[in-house]
Amino acid sequence: MENLVDIFVKSIFVDNMIFAYFLGMCSYLAVSKTVKTSTGLGLAVVFVLGITVPINYLIHNYILKEGALTWISPAYADVDLTFLSFILFIAVIASMVQLVEMVIEKFSPTLYSNLGIFLPLIAVNCSILGGSLFMQERAYNSLAEATVFGLGSGVGWFLAIIGIAAIREKIRYSNVPAPLRGLGITFIITGLMGIAFMGFMGIKF
Amino acid sequence: MSRLRKFVDDIKPHFEKGGKFEKLHSTFEAFETFLFVPDQVTTQGSHIRDAIDMKRTMSLVVIALIPTLLFGMWNVGYQHYLATGQMGAGVTTLQLFWEGFKLVFPIIVVSYVTGLAIEFAFAQIRGHEVNEGFLVSGMLIPLVLPVDVPLWMVAVATAFAVIIGKEVFGGTGMNILNPALLARAFLFFAYPAYMSGNQVWTHGLMSGQGIVDGFSGATPLSLAAEGQVEQMPEASEMFFGLIPGSIGETSTLAVLVGAFILLFTGVGSWRIMLSTVIGALFMGGLLNLFAVNEFMAIPAWKHLIMGGFAFGAVFMATDPVSASQTRKGKYIYGFLIGLLAILIRVVNPAYPEGVMLAILLMNVFAPLIDHYVVESNIKKRQKRASLQAA
Repeated sequence: MENLVDIFVKSIFVDNMIFAYFLGMCSYLAVSKTVKTSTGLGLAVVFVLGITVPINYLIHNYILKEGALTWISPAYADVDLTFLSFILFIAVIASMVQLVEMVIEKFSPTLYSNLGIFLPLIAVNCSILGGSLFMQERAYNSLAEATVFGLGSGVGWFLAIIGIAAIREKIRYSNVPAPLRGLGITFIITGLMGIAFMGFMGIKF
Repeated sequence: MSRLRKFVDDIKPHFEKGGKFEKLHSTFEAFETFLFVPDQVTTQGSHIRDAIDMKRTMSLVVIALIPTLLFGMWNVGYQHYLATGQMGAGVTTLQLFWEGFKLVFPIIVVSYVTGLAIEFAFAQIRGHEVNEGFLVSGMLIPLVLPVDVPLWMVAVATAFAVIIGKEVFGGTGMNILNPALLARAFLFFAYPAYMSGNQVWTHGLMSGQGIVDGFSGATPLSLAAEGQVEQMPEASEMFFGLIPGSIGETSTLAVLVGAFILLFTGVGSWRIMLSTVIGALFMGGLLNLFAVNEFMAIPAWKHLIMGGFAFGAVFMATDPVSASQTRKGKYIYGFLIGLLAILIRVVNPAYPEGVMLAILLMNVFAPLIDHYVVESNIKKRQKRASLQAA
């Protein structure tokens, strides 16, 4: 249990997808204009990460990993399918995103139109694939750990995007130098937020 | 005085539109309004009649910082004399103060000169007025640095904080992070050897010349973080500030004097200060309940007088620009600062001082807190309105 809390907190604050790895920047930068739409996209990312990481965990452990196929027949003990991980992970992610897209379109058409192209683009959002690949690389021990890691990474991304959206709403009328308006200042804010998040590095529970 | 006024009036036309030094208009204006109350009045838009303007507000904060500064200078000398074993019966207070003054004053000068130069340059290029915001930041930066920090680092950090932290957002009042804290965080992450550890807080320890055997220079916080809680100084020593630490942060008493000035004049927000203290006590108490090591078992109230907590809560968290703007938001903002500061302090072995990072983090989330407070207010009013209509 303590282990799970540790993974959760770490994936939100210490190994934050945005501030520690700079993953998923494209939608983070493009959709963070208002808190409302960012909340929608953030929740979608939390959901997709929370579902795809455990599914990919199962795929990794029961299909791809070296010797994973022994549950079919002991003869497959030395089959290593990890070279297929990218394509399988992406397939899972794409189908999940499709699902989310249909749900959002049905229940919140305004949010759907606000998110526009960035909703289907979650499928190629680096933080989602990154979540699955980190899961593979860090070799989590159980499905629960993988799920918690997926959710935590999603929540971290969510916090980052609503945080910057609120800041961007606040500075909308600031007299930012013309060349920096828009994306330039957003990059600078992201960097400054990264400095603020560094306080969590090295935390141990 | 009238001669000065006349001189200013004489050279004024040169700086007006069409004059010889038109480009230097904002520089001239800054000096003029610094010397005399300006005679301009607002011509359009909203009118607020108040004796206090930004210049006076900022001057009040600087005045509130003076006790910590004076005490800090004295303490620098005191710690240095302790370290070198010169502390004897013949040493006067003035001597200690002078020793500290010689070390601290250059840092202040560097911070002000760098910051104001950038501020003036930006004002000229971008054609806005020179703002007084840096008067406070320029004083805060030296106060949160260790005394032995190289001067060029002070200059680099100040430049970074003023340009990246403030000017790119459009100058005073637009920044999202507190510039002084940003300067400190910048140095902290860029040059950790000069900003953390036991060697940096007392002058002369880094060069190691003439240091008495057994003088460690460790701050109470780093002692606690290393598990040597019983070696921590007495609570009274920490309260009065006779401990190693950043120049201005050691004395809780001097900070309290400053807090009194800020609260009495209404410049600082009592809501933030109060809720920060409550947050810290809450987290401290919580850690006491689940204490598994000695650091977690330190009485919650002791956290308030250790390290930079008091200084951060009074002077940094209350920064009106980077803090939450809404009333309810201020309580939440302060509470979370106190909570996170103690949490980072205790559970993060890498950074014994959590106040700076806690405040920076909450600066980042202050607009979000405001957003939700405003949203909930709108919802509440809408509900009331629809109830009345029905």
